[in-house]
Amino acid sequence: MIDYQLLIQRYDPEHDNEPRLQRFTVPGDHTTSVLDALLYVQQKLEVTLGLRWSCRMAICGSCGVMVNGIPKLGCKTFLRDYHSDITIEPLAHFAVEKDLIVDMTQFLAHLSAIKPYLINDYSGTTVHKQTPAQLAKYQQFSNCINCGLCYSACPQFGLNPEFLGPAAITLAQRYNLDSRDNGKAARMPQLNGKNGAWGCTFVGFCSDVCPKQLDPAAAVNQAKVESAKDFIISMFKP
Amino acid sequence: MNIPDSARKPYQNELSRWWWLKQRYYRLYMLREATVLPLLFFIGCLLYGLYCLTQGAAHWQSFQLFMQQGWVIALNLLAFAASLFHAKTFFALFPRVMPLAPAALMISGQWLATLLVATGVLLLFGGWL
Repeated sequence: MIDYQLLIQRYDPEHDNEPRLQRFTVPGDHTTSVLDALLYVQQKLEVTLGLRWSCRMAICGSCGVMVNGIPKLGCKTFLRDYHSDITIEPLAHFAVEKDLIVDMTQFLAHLSAIKPYLINDYSGTTVHKQTPAQLAKYQQFSNCINCGLCYSACPQFGLNPEFLGPAAITLAQRYNLDSRDNGKAARMPQLNGKNGAWGCTFVGFCSDVCPKQLDPAAAVNQAKVESAKDFIISMFKP
Repeated sequence: MNIPDSARKPYQNELSRWWWLKQRYYRLYMLREATVLPLLFFIGCLLYGLYCLTQGAAHWQSFQLFMQQGWVIALNLLAFAASLFHAKTFFALFPRVMPLAPAALMISGQWLATLLVATGVLLLFGGWL
């Protein structure tokens, strides 16, 4: 066992006016994840530490935190990869509710704004047939776990919270590319606006931090191509 | 019993104007965006040259003398390096936005096209074609 030094950001809305860092010493070996360490702190050292977590296997997307300034899933990040103090802060660009817990209301609103469901005229009993080639068109973008790491990586979202952001635009692309969906016309107004795909300047950090390798930056910039096509087509429509 | 509406007091951290200094990734991005600055100088040189061309031989010779100065050559070399760096990042991003063929093929194809066009233009204006 090695002793690791953790600097955890604390914020108690009932007593603090701004966050502060608190140092903890946590024992760990090569299997100890950041989430394990946070749970050790909560269970053994500081029972009031607030954090979100659930599955511990990079599926639920709950345990996103900033580790040394980079958005990471706590369960997928290991202490063995750090050799000095490890600073753990809540996800950037979101309002902090308590300690490592952020308010994701805006993120969820952006997700629902792009109508993330199949829109079509099929009746309830119709079989939705899809070939493997049709599936392959959108499958990569359908693996999002809504962890929000890409929003913490995106300076455009940090500067303008109205920007739909990487995950929402990726989700719009996921449904627009689905052969069973006819809802593109309903989604394009959202993507065409200045807070849609064009708010992105292709910093690309979102793709770097995505724990599921969705490449949201590619999806957002593919949405720009779609938006441009939509604009040109609309010029020729009465 | 007096129940407050909410005990919530969310803390919102504002992004400072120096956000791009915080991360290596952001600094690389800003470097990519900043490649336009030396290119502006190069375009200025080009426009100045065109202007001198319309003003007669004396002006044109003064433009040539201007272009031979060390600092002008250095800035133009910087513009050349910057545009190569920008091309490298752009060529890598393009296959992700328009996945028409395997990425490696598209990247090498773009470099090949750049090389061919640049050589063609050089030969054409150099008087060899």
